[in-house]
Amino acid sequence: MTQATTPAKSSPGLFKRNPPIAGEAEAIEAAKNGDPEAFSKLYTLHKRRVYTLCLRMLGNVSEAEDMTQEAFLHLFRKLGSFRGESAFSTWLHRLTVNLVLMHLRKKGLNLVSLEETINPSEEDAPKRDFGSRDPVLASSVDRVALERAVASLPPGYRMVFVLHDVEGFEHNEIANMLNCSTGNSKSQLHKARLRLRELLRENSEINLAEGEAA
Amino acid sequence: MPLPSDINFDTLKPEEFERYLPDLFANGSGKVSEDPRLRKFLADHPDCAALVNDLETIAEHARSLFQVSADPSDKVWQNIQSKLQQNSYEDEEPELA
Repeated sequence: MTQATTPAKSSPGLFKRNPPIAGEAEAIEAAKNGDPEAFSKLYTLHKRRVYTLCLRMLGNVSEAEDMTQEAFLHLFRKLGSFRGESAFSTWLHRLTVNLVLMHLRKKGLNLVSLEETINPSEEDAPKRDFGSRDPVLASSVDRVALERAVASLPPGYRMVFVLHDVEGFEHNEIANMLNCSTGNSKSQLHKARLRLRELLRENSEINLAEGEAA
Repeated sequence: MPLPSDINFDTLKPEEFERYLPDLFANGSGKVSEDPRLRKFLADHPDCAALVNDLETIAEHARSLFQVSADPSDKVWQNIQSKLQQNSYEDEEPELA
């Protein structure tokens, strides 16, 4: 297995912020030797992070649970190849990202050619005009609204947005993961943000209308 | 569109700004609103400034997303245990980046 690389910049992603976990190194070594209790401990220590990552990338609880299961089954098989050259959480993070990407490719999401294959239809594409000034957007961007908007993004947009803005990967790292150009990654991120802006503005207008009607 | 090295920020038009925006975000600190080269342009074009502010707000809020995480349901671990006990687990090699 390719060793995970640590993102160059200070990463906001869940995994990269976490310091080494007490007892983790011992559990890894014991699990490598087939100790089921040790593997259970690794699951307990990392299930939430793996599941949250899957949820971020897939936007769907059922699929996220399935991929969490696959990630730990894969971990069971591949644990022997972990050499400790990077943090275990970073290594597991990369393993999970790769599994999710493989899952999406199997579903027909061709991540090789983002522009051609996962661009949304014209009606879903973000509008290219600037739009009017909207003084309420900043105040309306609460976490729940943004999470909902991210979940409704087309898969290609969501993938790049989550990897860059949420997980903190650089464009060159995303380009490597998705087999696309860095320019493509930048473009997809920009379109994702534009689409989110539209969705949040729509949400804000709906809330405003409901408030006036009440 | 990649940002040309000889771009003249004093004569920049909103359409050009929009085309260069992905690179302006990617190449700098991520805060286009604080780019001194764009100070005058953004002051002269409030709609462009509003767009930048909105996109920066979204990017900033993204870092707090999904922080309130939940555990997967118990059935996930039950399924893992079941597959491992059956020794039936076989998977494909993921295509590692």
